[in-house]
Amino acid sequence: MRTWSIPALTVLCLSGAGMIGGTAILLGALFLHNAPSNALSQEYRQQLDGLVYPEFEQNWKLFAPNPLQQNITVDARVQTIADDGEVHTRDWVGLSVQDAAAIRHNPAPSHVDQNMLRRAWDFYESSHPAEDGAVPGQRGKLAEEYLKRIALQRFGRTAGGERILQIQFRSAAKAVPPPAWSTEEPGESTPYKELPWWPVNEDDYRGLL
Amino acid sequence: MSGTATEPAADAAPVRPEPAPTRFERLFDAFTGTVFGRHQAAVVRIGFGLAWLGFLLREWPNRRVLYGDRSPWSADLSDTLLSATHAFTVLSWSDGRLWFETVYHLGILAALLMVLGWRTRASAVLFAVTVLSLQNRNVLVGDGGDNVVHLMAMYLVLVRSGLVWSLDARRRARRADPAAPAAPVGELRAVRDALVTMLHNCGMVIIAAQVVLIYSTAGWYKVQGSRWQDGTALHYPLRLDYFTPWPELSALLGSSLLVTFVLSYGTVILQVAFPFTLANRRLKNALLALMIAEHCAIAVVLGLPFFSLAMIAADLVFLPTAFLVRVGTLCRPAAGRLRAAVRLPATRPPSP
Repeated sequence: MRTWSIPALTVLCLSGAGMIGGTAILLGALFLHNAPSNALSQEYRQQLDGLVYPEFEQNWKLFAPNPLQQNITVDARVQTIADDGEVHTRDWVGLSVQDAAAIRHNPAPSHVDQNMLRRAWDFYESSHPAEDGAVPGQRGKLAEEYLKRIALQRFGRTAGGERILQIQFRSAAKAVPPPAWSTEEPGESTPYKELPWWPVNEDDYRGLL
Repeated sequence: MSGTATEPAADAAPVRPEPAPTRFERLFDAFTGTVFGRHQAAVVRIGFGLAWLGFLLREWPNRRVLYGDRSPWSADLSDTLLSATHAFTVLSWSDGRLWFETVYHLGILAALLMVLGWRTRASAVLFAVTVLSLQNRNVLVGDGGDNVVHLMAMYLVLVRSGLVWSLDARRRARRADPAAPAAPVGELRAVRDALVTMLHNCGMVIIAAQVVLIYSTAGWYKVQGSRWQDGTALHYPLRLDYFTPWPELSALLGSSLLVTFVLSYGTVILQVAFPFTLANRRLKNALLALMIAEHCAIAVVLGLPFFSLAMIAADLVFLPTAFLVRVGTLCRPAAGRLRAAVRLPATRPPSP
């Protein structure tokens, strides 16, 4: 191999040590980020998060510890106002049913159909505490606006020729029945839960249509 | 280095025998002078280039709704979240449509250049910038496939992935005159090469470790799940509306007790065992083949082709060099035919 001069050797050794150290620190942090919360990762929580977020974030609990065992349905309906000022409440529209129809027999489903509404609903649920009357934080407000805009992009500005005034969501979880050979009882299904009506403004449509 | 007895003693002065290199010196020489896994780096580059290129082309009609000016995740919403997460995206520089279209199409170009290996390092930087920019503009539409592309795009900046199977390699081979002796390399240039090689070797360790982390995490968390323990886990995803593009196929697959059990247990065993099989080449290769096959099935059955393509691209880092070289040799005639076909019109005489 090559014989290096002393300055060259110094540069190589220092940068080599730096690279190996950096690699070790990154991999250590990624290990702790993926491992269950433990004594070490709790002790160094701040440094760990500073390194991993935002760009090295990862979640490989794919279908783990248990796969999702419910089909979650999200529907929306709108209230419209006629020219004479009369307000009509329209029928429920199945938004996730639309997604499922777009995915069916599609070899390469789009993220628009497979992920957008599904993950927006997850985001809404995770940012809204279960207890009644709790005020959503900043993320909760983002989630509400996002969800509203996803639905409005599908509804448009009008329904039945009348301007949309308000929008409401509801959601239910239907348990996937256990396999035919299983003696188990089917899991828990939850009935429809309705969210409050949210007003719709022109601002909500910015860029959508 | 080591003088042999047959060497003619041309010089009058006897050559002072060099001391045998120490263990540290050998490791140092390998770390600074050997580009480990150049074929694996190239195949990972091509794999992720293809996966992201395919994704961007498939979503081309929906690009403005996913990441652009028509997105329900508006620029305002995105900016609010970004100010909390500090994620990198050049798309926050301007909300204009022109800027978005430029970035999206640069992304397509970067992915194509990664596949071809043209100015590979610069292309890898452009690839990473465009992947991060698009994904961070709307993190709420991604899945595991986007996550692995995001990470690997950053790691691919570190490695020398254009040494083989690239336009760069072809250009270098043409330029080099095999008859001429290798020109002596100045020390400054040699230091630069050594630094780049060290960075590459660290990058390859990171890529390999990342893949191991993915499978270990996926496997070890499944072990704790009651559905994986009772062997019915596979039944459930096959009945989710969002992951059943072919309900008849899913129902067929999930209808058999034995198939469901074997695939559920097999998946967990595969994922948990994989890191430990790296010590044994044959076993590792067998598991790798099974994993690639499983991802091919996931692509079709669960309707996740780009997720699967990205995972397969990540798996490729563990393919044995001999196998890759053999595949490369097999591909050469096909590549030559393709080139000939593409060039054909140019060789025709101009029509009058």
